[in-house]
Amino acid sequence: MRRGVGASAVVLALAGWGTSLAAPAHAGARVAASQPLVELKRDHVARRAPDADARPVDAIPIRRPLTGVRTVLPVLASAIDGKGQAWMRVRLPGRPNGRKGWILAAKTRSRSTAWHVAVDLSERRVSVYRDGRVERQWQAIVGSPSTPTPRGLFFVEEAVALSPLDAGGPYALAASARSEVLQEFAGGPGQIALHGTGNLAGALGTAVSHGCIRLSPAAITWLARRIGAGTPLTIKA
Amino acid sequence: MSSPFHLKRAGVALAVGFACAAVPAAAQAARQVGLGTAGNFSVLAGSTVTNTGPTTMSSQLGLHPGTSVTGAPVASATHISDGPALQAKSDLVTGYNDAAGQASTALATAELSGQRFVAGAYRASSSLLHSAGSVTLDAQGDPNAVFIFQIGSTLTTGSGTSVALVNGAQACNVFWQVGSSATFGTGSTFVGTVMALTTITANTAATFNGRLLARNAAVNLDTNTIITSGCAPGTTGDSPTTGGPGSDGSPTDGTDGLPPASRSNRNGTATLQRSPGSPGSPGSPGSPGVRDCAEGFRGTVRGRQIKRVVFRMDGKRIANRTSSPFRVFVRAMPGKHVIKARVSFKDATVAKTLKMDYRACAAALLRPRQGPSRFTG
Repeated sequence: MRRGVGASAVVLALAGWGTSLAAPAHAGARVAASQPLVELKRDHVARRAPDADARPVDAIPIRRPLTGVRTVLPVLASAIDGKGQAWMRVRLPGRPNGRKGWILAAKTRSRSTAWHVAVDLSERRVSVYRDGRVERQWQAIVGSPSTPTPRGLFFVEEAVALSPLDAGGPYALAASARSEVLQEFAGGPGQIALHGTGNLAGALGTAVSHGCIRLSPAAITWLARRIGAGTPLTIKA
Repeated sequence: MSSPFHLKRAGVALAVGFACAAVPAAAQAARQVGLGTAGNFSVLAGSTVTNTGPTTMSSQLGLHPGTSVTGAPVASATHISDGPALQAKSDLVTGYNDAAGQASTALATAELSGQRFVAGAYRASSSLLHSAGSVTLDAQGDPNAVFIFQIGSTLTTGSGTSVALVNGAQACNVFWQVGSSATFGTGSTFVGTVMALTTITANTAATFNGRLLARNAAVNLDTNTIITSGCAPGTTGDSPTTGGPGSDGSPTDGTDGLPPASRSNRNGTATLQRSPGSPGSPGSPGSPGVRDCAEGFRGTVRGRQIKRVVFRMDGKRIANRTSSPFRVFVRAMPGKHVIKARVSFKDATVAKTLKMDYRACAAALLRPRQGPSRFTG
């Protein structure tokens, strides 16, 4: 007679970008048609395991710091602990790059996105996928050899409308990635973003940025009107 | 005891006119299993839900963490890898463990056919088979009598088999905790909430009065009817009623649970139509460059004998219309959405669920908030 699952959690990996792509997505690669997301409805603590007693990884506030929108995170797996509580394994923003953690499913709202942004650093090209198919591609400016754009699996934390006087306007997609060279830049935490070329020098197709990915104003405007918080972002060499 | 299958009732042998009227002696008392929100689902699965042919269920269909539902089974609402589905899966684990953990009496045989059970919890250490004929669950006049079957491995029923509820037994009080997978034979009728650790397979035209809840893997359906009804405390039906749709004691012909007299009065019709003029609908100038999307969804249910229409989007109730026009308008977040209209009728027409997809345009909806430029540049 089976008598339950015991104290250990039952972990279920979700089909999607978080787990199904062994290799990072790039233009021409397979990208999951949909990515499960979770929107926080309160501050959460991310832990190393799906267990209320597990070591904390980080505190995740309900809102993002630049615009105050709700925090939305990609979901990689789910689990139910020995007490019957549901947990989700999520990607986390900030350092070190690529962090993951478990949060309680309570006080969250499930969502999904059909969008996926992929950056190919060697081609200096940004591809945007929808339902697993390439929707648009643009040339971009990427990080210089001394301040490279970090590689890995990230996500869009928030979309930001910038003023005409700001560098990088008219929009920015603030990413969960952080520069591995610049600990702080322009009063921020060395945060990587896809943004425009407003008030900045440099030609598209070159590697001259401080780590961010710069796109033409038309391209970043197209993205900002479609790409919401939580959208997967893959950056490959 | 010399055999667990001597007929006893409170220590007194009963002469009951059944061909094989045996019950386990000293059956362990069973208490109701708490299903939580999982009780709101007719079908709940972990990996996939597959379906062949017209399958209908009276309650909701849920899937988590899987995302693939094929074959378009009709449910009152569908939750795919969303919050309600996750919560229901969590509650299912609790219910499964509750059922598995109750004190029970070991069954002497792995064959259910022809057996008669009084209320209690029964344990099969390995597989359980119901190969032919009927198995009887006897509430002995207690409408709150609970039957729990704890099965260590598989549960399998043969073609055309049935479960009979007698003397007030109710499907809502019957639970099957299955340690691996459950398979139901072609044309069989089954009663109770099936909670399987792995897969549940319902073969062609199997009908259920209960729930099919699979914790980790798939629920496979094929032209099935699943009626999920609540308890009716105080019911003390004396006549045997075969489980499945129509198991309320009224005479039926086994097709849909309605008395034949009611079936002749079915003139209701309903169709769901997307109203012209939905903002940003395909082809309109409101959404250049975006495939088949609309800013909002405006739909109307038209037909005859319509009593009420409940509209849901992605399983969440968005409108309840009890008079014409039966219309809804919703403006959703960007992405794919499913609009369902549950239509009930003034006459005896069976309620139906109408479905339509809707993709909300991203371009028309996302307006990033103003913020500082504090990036690496």
